[in-house]
Amino acid sequence: MALKGLDIFKLSPKKNCKECGSPTCMAFCMKVAQGAVSIDKCPYFSDEAKAMLNEQTAPPMKTITVGEHKLGGETVLFRHEKTLVNKNLFAVSVCTCMSDEEVDKKLADLQKVDYERIGERMYVEFVYVANNGTDPAAYAALVQKAAATGRSLVLACWDVECAKAALAVAGKDVILDGATPDNWEAMNEVATAAGVVLGVYAENISDLYDTVKKLEGKGNKNLVLDVTGKTAKQTLANAVLVRRTAIKDGDRSFGYPSIVNVGKLAKGDAHLQTAYASMFTEKYGSIIVMEQMDYAQALPLYGLRQNIFTDPQKPMKVEAKIYPLNGADENSPCALTVDFALTYFLVSGELERSNQPVNLIITDASGMSVLTAWAAGKFSSSTVKKTFEELDIENKIKNRTLIIPGKVAVMKGEIQEKLPGWNVVVGPLEAAQLPKYMKDKEYEAAAKAAAAENAAKAATVEVVKELSFEELLETRVPKIEVVDMGVKYKGHNPESKTFVTIGERIHCIAPVIRKAMDERDPKPILERAAQQIAAGATYLDVNIGPAEKDGPERMMWAVKLLQENFNNVPLALDTANKKAIEAGIKVYDRTNGKPIVNSADAGSRISNIDLAAANDAICIALCSADGIAKDNEERMKHCHNMLERGLSLGMSSDDLWFDPLFLVVKGMQDKQMEVLEAIKMFSNEGLKSTGGLSNNSNGAPKHVRPIMDSALVAMAMMQGLTSAIVNPNDLRLMETIKSCDIFKNHTLYSDSYLEL
Amino acid sequence: MSFVPKTAAYSGKINAVTLGTGDKAIVIGGQNVLPFYTFDAPIEHAPKIGVEISDLAGEWDAPELRAFYEGCATMADYAKRAETMEGADFICLHFESADPNGADRSVADCVADAKAVAEAVSLPIVIMGCKNLEKDGELFSKIAEALQGKNIAVLSARSEDYKTVGASVALAYGQKVGAETADDINLAKQLNIMLKGLSIAPESIVMNIGTAAVGYGFEYVASTLDRIRLAALAQSDADLQMPIIAPVSTDTWGVKESSASEEDEPAWGSREQRAISMEVSTAAANLTGGADAVIMRHPAAIATIKKFISELV
Repeated sequence: MALKGLDIFKLSPKKNCKECGSPTCMAFCMKVAQGAVSIDKCPYFSDEAKAMLNEQTAPPMKTITVGEHKLGGETVLFRHEKTLVNKNLFAVSVCTCMSDEEVDKKLADLQKVDYERIGERMYVEFVYVANNGTDPAAYAALVQKAAATGRSLVLACWDVECAKAALAVAGKDVILDGATPDNWEAMNEVATAAGVVLGVYAENISDLYDTVKKLEGKGNKNLVLDVTGKTAKQTLANAVLVRRTAIKDGDRSFGYPSIVNVGKLAKGDAHLQTAYASMFTEKYGSIIVMEQMDYAQALPLYGLRQNIFTDPQKPMKVEAKIYPLNGADENSPCALTVDFALTYFLVSGELERSNQPVNLIITDASGMSVLTAWAAGKFSSSTVKKTFEELDIENKIKNRTLIIPGKVAVMKGEIQEKLPGWNVVVGPLEAAQLPKYMKDKEYEAAAKAAAAENAAKAATVEVVKELSFEELLETRVPKIEVVDMGVKYKGHNPESKTFVTIGERIHCIAPVIRKAMDERDPKPILERAAQQIAAGATYLDVNIGPAEKDGPERMMWAVKLLQENFNNVPLALDTANKKAIEAGIKVYDRTNGKPIVNSADAGSRISNIDLAAANDAICIALCSADGIAKDNEERMKHCHNMLERGLSLGMSSDDLWFDPLFLVVKGMQDKQMEVLEAIKMFSNEGLKSTGGLSNNSNGAPKHVRPIMDSALVAMAMMQGLTSAIVNPNDLRLMETIKSCDIFKNHTLYSDSYLEL
Repeated sequence: MSFVPKTAAYSGKINAVTLGTGDKAIVIGGQNVLPFYTFDAPIEHAPKIGVEISDLAGEWDAPELRAFYEGCATMADYAKRAETMEGADFICLHFESADPNGADRSVADCVADAKAVAEAVSLPIVIMGCKNLEKDGELFSKIAEALQGKNIAVLSARSEDYKTVGASVALAYGQKVGAETADDINLAKQLNIMLKGLSIAPESIVMNIGTAAVGYGFEYVASTLDRIRLAALAQSDADLQMPIIAPVSTDTWGVKESSASEEDEPAWGSREQRAISMEVSTAAANLTGGADAVIMRHPAAIATIKKFISELV
């Protein structure tokens, strides 16, 4: 396993002397971890530190490779602690004790199970070839037959001569499951000479341990442990104790994958084998050996395995494609939604309940739910158009009715424009309403209306010329009327070290703001701005939604509206539409601070850093690419990618505000400290940070949220957080921030500090 | 001996909850180790199996299953037959047809069925409703009243209706109440706190922490089970030490693997064998994760899981 950058960093000199050519020790260690530079480039790393690194970063459990298969390599006992890495594999057994006919049938049958489930090939990966006799030729003949299936082999054979004969015909993708306390020395030589993995078996776990020690003493660490006992009870004990000793106690002599032969534990009882195999899928079997594998057994077992070995750190996504439901064909209407797995299961379930043929089209939205994806620009008319092109839906489906989720009714016009031939219809708000909606064919009337509208539009085609920002400003942006809201923005010194609060309440996910933006109605926007400014917000975030159509004029209007009314309050411009951000900056007044581009990430939105650099703006840099970073290793990798990009474009590091992504406590309680540690790392490198802090308390009761947010902001400020995107009308939070600024000596104390 | 395994018995312990009365009463929970970790500490009460009897059982069409219940007409007939099943520890009456959006069977009819079953069988009884909050509220209360003294468990109280269900089932009629949540450990804990807040004794509470057939988001169930057990045992979290009853058959029989006909999926083989296998795998996975009882349907699946449990405890 590669060394971890952060582990290396712990042992680094932390001088930030730049002699290695990297800007910081952290950046250097990251490069070392990626193999981009040798650790010897640093003149200050001690030999002891280097030796310790090797010792410390060895994984608790080895990854053993057999052909294309990987076994073991686990780092945790339970999947929620991080993730399980290498799924268990299945084997079917044949034996020298069987007749030729029996063997042939078994080998033929095991190949019948071969299918795909959610992108994964499901088949019997191994044949377990048991030797019951002492006749090398007989065993070799059986092995040869098994090898002809093309599957990898487990050679269960304690007889040295038989093993040699078998290996001569078995190929390379083999485990020689043959070492015992009695024959280990000879078997070790056979396995080593053939270059194959050696399986170790002993009657009790203590002898197993001793035998592994002896083999390790001979330099063989290419092992798997056959933990099958006399009973299921003993086998579970072995499997758990071996894994627990390796992972929890760090004893690497048990840090090897396991073989569990459930065929032996439940001879002739396929159902009981299924039960045992289910248990060992959850509890630490690496290769599970069965007497047979038919579809009745495979369907649940492979389904369970796929579930258990999904990475809990990744959003559950389904593939973007057309899912024909209830016998739908090219003449059935289409319904559209996002690729978040839970959304898919809910929507497809309800559509199936309607019994109406419908083509469910799943579009790529990075595994986010409908509204979240829409707000983040991951579910927009452009992404929908892209899906339609990539899936060639235009040609695959003749029906032209497209039902979109009711929650994004606002996208109807834009989608209609991007998909001219289609009749776009707004579906119900909730999935539960779908069965009735489909049964009653409520969409038909709407589709007709849309078709008529489209026809009318087609008749009056006008060529729209793209206008420059100046022209847009002139012709499309309503004149701003200055209204006295009774609040004045006090001004902000960009040099000040006090905590920067970015007020989050002007956001298109709120229906009242969405409507106001659509209609260019100043009142609701000014009201929320006034409240936030009165409460002491430093910056205001302006989220205009994805705004694919009229982004630039929208943003120019919003920026002018807010700045002209509130003494040039500084703003964070928040939209997925880059042109809109550019336009907003064109009319932006910098008296109280640079504009903030909200936001870039290390994935598809990295070019927003370029945008900020070109416009001398601050950029919020999300330390994620696609989905939440799985650990601080990854967070810091993203951080440094973005930092390097910004610096290379001439930005000051002060203008990149890194966002670790605050995670929700209800669901990711065990990741909270890691986020706080990431803030400390930013701070140690002299970097600024920000983030949507109140995400932590999402879903918590209303009266609890301010308490959680306040506690977290205090902890985060201790770690060096310099800014946060917050609700400034949360009094407790704002008072906590002001108090922390006192303790951090950023503002001078006075009895009235809370009122300032 | 060079290798001495470290044992990991915990100070926290799962509550031992008794269901039913007399000789046939059962205890679920009571252990202080992870499921089947007998090498850490002995497990006194083996996990239990409940046999699902639905009021729509007449529609069950798997041949072996039908043959087993040959001649049964009423829920009481079914329950009596179920009692003879190898591995049956309790009977679970599932009132699916009470659903107002389905057959909308009257509460009085359901109560009459429950009473007839209680008179006909001696195994403990667990009640499942129709998932309609309003109807279940009335149904649970009336059944709990009619079966007073039988020490039944009612599945389930949810965050929307725990007050009415908890108050009637547990407080007024002294039965056990199930706390039902969907794969959310924080909500599971909160609901137990709320039920205890109504002055329901912890020993009167069991949990249904969410269900799924294997292959259908079972990772959420698995991780919720892992996390609840670790909180209950390693952190001694008294609000999560309630034993868990996992309904299995209600999920597994509906999925494609169990329901697709042999004509539609010729390669898959016998539909009934597939349905049994889905039940077996889902039940084993639940028990391995931390369920103290599973609710199942098919006699062959139940016999298998019975063997599985007895081999492991």
